[in-house]
This record gives sequence, C-alpha cells and structure tokens, in this order.
Amino acid sequence: MADRDASTDAHKHNVFEELLSPSELFEARSQSHKIPVRGQKDFLPSGSEQQRARLQQSLDEHWTLLTEERVERLGNLVKAVWIPDERLVELQSPAGKFWQTMGFSERGKQYLRPEEALYLMECGNVQVFYQDLPLSIQEGYERFLSHGTVTLHQYQVFGHLKRLGYVVNRFDPSSVPSTYERRLNLPASSLDKQRKQLKRKRSQSPVSSDKQNTSPVEKMTTQDQSEQLVHTSESPAGQTAPDPPLEESMQSADVSDRTWWMEEDVQLPAAQAQSAAPRWDFSSISFPDLGSRRSHSASLASPDPSLLPGALEVGGCDLAPWLRRLNVKQEKLSQRERERQRERDRYHRDINSDREVRHCRNWAEYLQLVEDRRRRSQKDRPVHLWEKEVTPLTQPGQCTSHRELLDQISIIKSSSLSEEVSSLSPSDQWKISFDVYQPDTVAEFKKSQPGRPYTRMCVCSFDGPVPDLHAMKQLSVQSGDVSVTFAVVDHGDISFYCFKDFRLPTDVY
Amino acid sequence: MAGDPAGMNMSQQSSSLDVKEDMDTKSESEHQASKDDLIDISFCESTPLLWKVSDMKRCRSVGVIGALVGSLARQPRQNVRLGRPLELLQEEALLLGDTNTAAASLQPQDCGDEEVHSEAVRQYEAGLESSYKEQCTLALEDKKTVMRRIMNEKENGTDDSGNAIRDRLNALDQSFRFPRSAMAIQLCTARAGFSHCPEERSFHSTDWPMPRDERLDTRFCVYRDLRNKGFYLTSAGKFGGDFLVYPGDPLRFHSHFIALCISMDEELPLSDILAIARLGSNVKKTVLLCSPRSRGETGKDESVEGDVVYSSLQWSSMV
Repeated sequence: MADRDASTDAHKHNVFEELLSPSELFEARSQSHKIPVRGQKDFLPSGSEQQRARLQQSLDEHWTLLTEERVERLGNLVKAVWIPDERLVELQSPAGKFWQTMGFSERGKQYLRPEEALYLMECGNVQVFYQDLPLSIQEGYERFLSHGTVTLHQYQVFGHLKRLGYVVNRFDPSSVPSTYERRLNLPASSLDKQRKQLKRKRSQSPVSSDKQNTSPVEKMTTQDQSEQLVHTSESPAGQTAPDPPLEESMQSADVSDRTWWMEEDVQLPAAQAQSAAPRWDFSSISFPDLGSRRSHSASLASPDPSLLPGALEVGGCDLAPWLRRLNVKQEKLSQRERERQRERDRYHRDINSDREVRHCRNWAEYLQLVEDRRRRSQKDRPVHLWEKEVTPLTQPGQCTSHRELLDQISIIKSSSLSEEVSSLSPSDQWKISFDVYQPDTVAEFKKSQPGRPYTRMCVCSFDGPVPDLHAMKQLSVQSGDVSVTFAVVDHGDISFYCFKDFRLPTDVY
Repeated sequence: MAGDPAGMNMSQQSSSLDVKEDMDTKSESEHQASKDDLIDISFCESTPLLWKVSDMKRCRSVGVIGALVGSLARQPRQNVRLGRPLELLQEEALLLGDTNTAAASLQPQDCGDEEVHSEAVRQYEAGLESSYKEQCTLALEDKKTVMRRIMNEKENGTDDSGNAIRDRLNALDQSFRFPRSAMAIQLCTARAGFSHCPEERSFHSTDWPMPRDERLDTRFCVYRDLRNKGFYLTSAGKFGGDFLVYPGDPLRFHSHFIALCISMDEELPLSDILAIARLGSNVKKTVLLCSPRSRGETGKDESVEGDVVYSSLQWSSMV
C-alpha cells in the first residue's frame, strides 16, 4: 500500500502482498459474515473426479476464509499503545464494551493486559501501535507473548475461553482468602491486592527502626486479644450459676503484668510475647449467664476494676432491659414437633442435669470427672483383652453408628485433598494461570469485585507429565475453595480435565 | 493419494484478494536469490507458526497440514473454525527445514536507525492519507449510484419525490461528507513490514529454537517416513498417540491410523498396549506402533527412507 516504488529487496515485496488496496478495503465493508458448513468426509480416496472436485471446493473455501483480512471502520477501533517496559497496553481513546470485563485503570489511565489486548486485536476491536506504527497480529504474538507475561499455550486457552464467552482474569495467589478468613466470612478486599500486584516495583523508602519495632508488637497485641476473646466465650458454657454471678475473684497476676495494652513498652521482642500465656485466670472468673432460666437477679454489680483496661469505670448494670431483649420464653411446640423431640431425646441426656457435673466449678474439675468415669467404666473390661499390649479397637456399646464403628476399626484413614498440605513447597511446573467466571454473570460482573470464580485454570500439554498427587494437593490448596481445571493444549485442540474429591460412603442408611 | 499440486495452483489463481500489483514484481523477484522464496516460519518460543496464506498453501502442497490456532477474521468470537496463525508440529518444521523449503525468522529487533524509522512513519501516514482520499471518492461515487438508482425507480412511479432526490444528487458534490472515522482500515494479520526493519533469518534447522531430544528424533523419523509414503499426518494427543494418519487431505477424509512412535529398545508395559488398543477400537482406527530401525542394524550413518518398522494392533477373537 505504501511502497509502490520498485525496491531491490524482493523479500520486502513479498511482505506487502497481503495488504489491501483502498478499493478492496471499501468493498470489504460489505463482506459476508457467515461461515460455510463443512460437509461429510469420505472414508477412502477413490481417485474419482467427484471426490477431487469436492476436495478442491473445500480447499478453495478454506483458503478464502483464511485469506480474508480484518477490515474495520476507523471510528470503531480503539487506539492503544504497547509499552514494553511495563508489558502493558495503554488505551488512548475511550474503551468500548469490552471494558466491562477486561482491562484496569491506574493513575488515571486505562490499561489492558497483553493477552487481553491480543485477543481484542484478533477480534478487530483495538488497534495497537508501537513507535507510531500499527502492530500486526503476528507482531502482537511475537511481542506480547513470552514467559514473563503469558505463554502461547496459556494464550490459546485464554482465547478459547473468551471466544466461548467466559470472563477470564489472571490468577493472583494473594487474592485467595485463607481458611481462617473464610471461616470468619470476611469480605475480600481484592481491590487493594490487585493494585498491589500490578504496580511496578517502586524504590522502597527507608523505614525507621522504631516503626519496625512497633508493628510486630501491635500485631502481637491484637493477636493476644483475639485469643483471649475466643477463650472467654467458651468458659461460661461450663459454668452454671445457681448463685449470684457477681463475685469476680481476683487472682494471680499483679498489676505489673498487665501492661500489655499500654503502648510504652515498644522494644518488646516478638518471640517472647507470643509464647506468653494469657494473663487472666479464667478458672476463677465467672461470667454472668443471662440466658439460663436459673438466674433471677435483677442487676449485675460492677466488675472488678483490675479486670478493666486503663482507668475505665463501670457501674452496676440493670438486667431487666437486656432480659427483655433476650427471648427467654418457653418454646411452644406443636404435637408433632413434641413427638419428634421425644424421639430425639429418648437417648439424649442433658449434661446440665447431671448432678455431678453441676458440682464442677470449672473445666479442670469437669475433665477430672470425665476421666474418673471413664476409668470406672473400664474396670469391667475383660483383663485378657485389655491389659495386654495389643488391645481391641472398640468395645460393644461404644459406638452408636456404622460410621463411628468403621472409623474406630479402620487402619488406614481416608484423607481428603486438602489435608497435610502446609508442608508442601510450591512447584515451578504446576501453576494456576487464570480465574474463569461464567458467561451469564457478565451483565453484573464488576471488575473491582469479581467474586468467587467458577473455576481456575492450570494450563499444561500432552507432552508434559500427568499431574501427580503432590501437584494436585498443592494446586487445590493454592486455589482455596474453587475447583481447579486442567486445560491440556494439543496443537490448538484444548481438552479440559478436572479431578473431584470423592469420599467412600461409610454410613448405612 | 499425494497432494494435488495442480489443484493448488488453481486455487492460488482463483483467490481474488491477493494484491494484483505485486504479481509483476514477483516475477522479478524470481530472478533474485531463491532464498527469498522460502516459507517464513516464525517461532513463538519453541512453537513454529506460519502467518502468510501463500506459505500455508505451499506447505499443504508438500503435505504439511498444521493446525489453525487463531481467531478467524470473518467471525472471531467462535471456536468452530479458527484462523491464522497455522501452528506446525515440530516434525513438520524440521521437514521443511531439511528440504530447504523454509527459513525461520528470528525475533524482530527494534529498528535502531532513527531516520529510517521516521521515514517509515511518514510513509505509513502518507499511505493512510491517500487511502482516505480514494475511499472518499469511492464513497461519493457509490452514493451517487445508489441515488440514481432510486431516482430511476421513482421516475417510473407517480409521486413527486423523484425531484427531491434529483436536487439532492446535484448538491451532493458540495454537501457530501465522508468523515475520517468512516474510513476502512485493515488490521494486518501477518507482518506488514511498515517499519522497514531488516529481517534476520536462520536457514539451518539446527539453529532453530526447538529442543532436539531422542523423542523428537524418533518422531521425526516416523513422520518423514509416513510422509514420503504419501500419508497426511496431524497431531493425535486426544487419541493417546503421536500422529493421526490420513490417506488423503484431512479436509476430506477420515484418518485410518493412530501412530505411536516408540524407539526400538523402549519397554512398553502391557497395560499401556491394552489401553491404546482399546482406545483405537473405540474410535474405529487402527493403532500403529512405529519404531525407527536403529543405526547399527542398517549399517548406515543416517537413517534413510524406509527405515521404520510398523506393527498394527487389532482385536481378534480366539477361533
């Protein structure tokens, strides 16, 4: 198109042969968008004229489809620029409909990841320039795909899924909530993490030594607090309060130990703080049991000031409004529900109605009682079975269900995929590449809060090894609660495999 | 059974979208070094790719099929039919290299010369400008033709709207607007060469970025042998084998064999043989175990044609 003068470099002329002239470009606006259907194949070549003609026709159709070039209206194209240092494509004109599911904004500019840009180039939506000249798709493949960005196999899987309509994002290991976070049901703060992942390395500003010391201490204190909160919620369960639940007996540690909440002591090394036990003696502090019907006191006295942080002063508490807020009404069950409850409770014994248990004042005494009872029950066991080196696995009457019984007598315990994974080191060969979201969620898809993906993709090929148990465990833990699918690439043909956890049934219903 | 060279030429002439201007310059180029006539293989890490349709046609004429892995220009958002690039098997690339039909183009370097580059940018933009002007003219002509046709139709009718259209037609030369955003732009698939950067090419397949190991050698031996016997071969990962063997062009025929390449001294567990035989009978294809004869047996330095031993597996009943 640009080079009509006779140049001596013949190879260069070959390069230009696929450029369309302006009249061809103009004609191409009305080219058909239908793909011809492929006919039935034959079994054996018979050398017949009919077969040869059909082959020729298929080939012609084939070449026509392949030779067609992408011709787009300049107004429909989004202009973009390839930035090799950042390995990103920066948009220079407003994004189109694809912005809903692809690309990201940073520092006021719109960017596309290289695989997204290449896919959009292939769809004919974006024209990417480099050094003021437009990149062809071949150059896009050569420049955008590499081990540092996305490999060719990974791009093939990406393109395949995008063409089917899925939303595909790069996988970010830090965006997977840990088991603890999931249990707490914390909303994922994925936006910050995405920003952190894509920001380029910046020079670290020097951190003062004070700050470094305070941060581990602060972390430690919050950790202590959470430990103690968990601990305190468990203790009232073991305590019933027939007597007024008011007296808190102060015990053990004196005031000097309780300085952990004061910010003065900054130089505390982290190791020592973490190994220290919580400083309150919960065996002696009783907590008010408002829900139990057995306590009828009208108000709570103020707690011992030594248990309170700082100079806090708490007066007595009137219980009446709190009790009103608690639903302490007797449950009225229908006839059928009462029957069902009777069935359930036939063999159920309320542990709180046990006199001996009520006499226990704290956990230590309760555990002692349990131990004593266990020992007593074992006195009746036949000596020749139980006093030798090898003892039976279970006792008659000990188990109430098949599953319990099978658990007790099983020698090999079944394990699930997520067990014992913390000791596994991450492998170089098996990596999760993409998060995949389903096509029907595209309308409500928010890039800032994509939510839980439908599945995660790990790209491999038939030339490589089959994933072993180590790889599968490691990948499933990396992925959290989302299943991992293996996309196996074989020369453009992609097959998807996934492994599902399966538990053998152990209960007979 | 072999490829149809006569058919290839016919299809080349019938394809209308090749630029006709360059046909005369092409005959000039034939007098130039034949090295410029080689098929251009571009490597994406270790995967050989072909981008130009002329290269793909030449490949197919020697029986190299490859697999299309890109989006189809006509309908990019579907997976039924894919478009360029054509991904070649490593064995196919080796065959093309060994028969001196292809050369690999190495990673493009940025053009260091500032002047050459700005000249290239100027040329590109000048090209865009002239294309715009030409498209303007074409659009104007097109619109006039459409309006004349409507006018003719209306003149046959009874109403007065024909006059209104005639007036519009006459005013069209002044009032016609063809905004730049309406211009048609080509998004090139293969490298267009705008940057005038000199391309570096490698002519020896030993320099190509493909890791040569024993497995590739075995497979290449088998590939070359089957190709010389006239079969067409494609990849067979999904069928548990190395190659699918077709009696004719894969566009028209079903494959007959699944070829599994094993070296002569490799031990194969019986369970693997049973698995592959089962698979073959399920898909109604015969499984071929192919082993190149080792050098010691043939007494030659390099393995030549006809040096592969084939065994086929077939379920048979005990009679």
